[in-house]
Amino acid sequence: MRLEFEDVSYSYEGGEAKKKKRSGAKKAQWGNAPDAPWALRHVSFTVEPGEFLGIAGHTGSGKSTLIQHMNGLIHPTEGRVLADGESLASKEVARRVRGRVGLVFQYPETQLFAATVFDDVAFGPRNMGVPEAQIEQRVREALERVGLCFEQLKGRSPFSLSGGQQRRVAFAGVLAMNPEMLVLDEPAAGLDPKAREDFLNMISGFHAQGTTVVMVSHSMDDLAARCSRVLVLSEGEVFALGTPAEVFADGERLRSVGLGLPAPVAFAGQLRQAGFPLEAGFFTEEQLADAIARALGRAVAAREGADRR
Amino acid sequence: MNQLLLGQYWPGESPVHALDPRVKFLLSLALMAVVFCAGNPWALAVAALFLAVFYLIARIPPLQALRSVGPLLVLVLFTALLNVLFVQGGQVYFQWGILCISQKGLQSAGFIAVRLMLLLMAMSLLTLTTTTLDITAAFERLLRPLRRIGVPAHELGMILGIALRFLPQFAQELSNVRKAQLSRGAHLTVNPFRGGLRSLSALMVPLFSSAFRHAEILSQAMDARCYHGGEGITRLHPLRCTYRDGMACAGVALMLACVLLATIYM
Repeated sequence: MRLEFEDVSYSYEGGEAKKKKRSGAKKAQWGNAPDAPWALRHVSFTVEPGEFLGIAGHTGSGKSTLIQHMNGLIHPTEGRVLADGESLASKEVARRVRGRVGLVFQYPETQLFAATVFDDVAFGPRNMGVPEAQIEQRVREALERVGLCFEQLKGRSPFSLSGGQQRRVAFAGVLAMNPEMLVLDEPAAGLDPKAREDFLNMISGFHAQGTTVVMVSHSMDDLAARCSRVLVLSEGEVFALGTPAEVFADGERLRSVGLGLPAPVAFAGQLRQAGFPLEAGFFTEEQLADAIARALGRAVAAREGADRR
Repeated sequence: MNQLLLGQYWPGESPVHALDPRVKFLLSLALMAVVFCAGNPWALAVAALFLAVFYLIARIPPLQALRSVGPLLVLVLFTALLNVLFVQGGQVYFQWGILCISQKGLQSAGFIAVRLMLLLMAMSLLTLTTTTLDITAAFERLLRPLRRIGVPAHELGMILGIALRFLPQFAQELSNVRKAQLSRGAHLTVNPFRGGLRSLSALMVPLFSSAFRHAEILSQAMDARCYHGGEGITRLHPLRCTYRDGMACAGVALMLACVLLATIYM
């Protein structure tokens, strides 16, 4: 499914914001002004089918507001959001899209409510009107996709599980609706490094199987390593949009909106400053290691050449 | 969502803000009593005049004062409407079936509406000029005499304070849970009761479990800072009555006198 944002603006004050002058808002010393009338302003971009889009931005830059537009939870004050050409402003369209776009909020484990894991995961498909005969199949598949054992967990209370397992169950609750697009708000927040890596690998796995993924993250490393495109928001406006190579090329500009660089890019920058000849255009640890190895190889080859002469 | 029913605290440095919260608490009750004493439109006008002066002294912008009672205006309108329809007498302006709008109905509706508005404004003058922390402290201090008969004054004050503190928090969390369950196709917008207990529990269970989680964390945090109940606790800013409080009492007494005079002689 293609999700198109057409010049979207959103204000928590509704139409009131239109009356206010833009200059009326005070400029915040850092981050985003809390009384700025617009949470999103003139946002235009398209989520292409099958891509892995990362969304980055300072706290309060409008990331969460943006993703809530993606399944019609909130509607633009100005502009339109189109799913395959149909506007989400229509209730009918929004209802249909909710089954196709799976939105996972931050700390989704706080939304568990049912008496058993089975019932909680089945909540989404049941609401969508999936026949009861297929529900068990759906729940089994969803739990297995997040790496949990259906037989072991189906009858247990979700509140008796560990934090990491709870998050997986909550995640399965969204997957059980078989969405073709997953929208994730900080999916790895608050997990320990091992669980975090596992979780992100799992998400990359979904993407590899053909699901469109939109992921909000504070971690530039995660975005650089996994996304095919990155969208950077600042004060509700699109600050940068492109491949990780394009977006992370200009470190100073990113720093000016309160974001850092992925660790490998930052490290490469320091090496270059120290006079180490390193090519540009990479952003993962493996690529950095390869680039350093190549640079060292070239240096060795050059020295050998000089020795021979 | 995170607005309380009455006026939210409006920071300021006016003489009303500086009043002792205990005195302010009692005076706001007295103000309401005075509004109830006003028996005719003239007396009500006098009360309104005094209340307007109090708001002026508190330096609260008129728009903010009106906005603070906004959510309760529905109540005022509803009461007024009932009066229009059920109080009969005097000249009849409009009749349609059993609906009958008469002179007396309109008069009593107007009177009741203004009186209710004044009551609400009197209450919100307290919440507009006093932080919840101060209101809690005043509440606790005023209950203290009742401790002799076994009323746990300090605990009640603490409960009130914590409840006020967490109200906006839970409103926010409820909105988050609602959005999450809507994303899973829950039919909450139409009618929460039609979807049966399942839809309702999808909201309430997460909210309650979060309340328990907050309670646990809060109690640990209080323990970590050696909270041990009300015994021997001192305040950083002790409550102290000053000449201002005397003047405020005099002001309200003057208002009472004027309102009573207007009620009797007009």
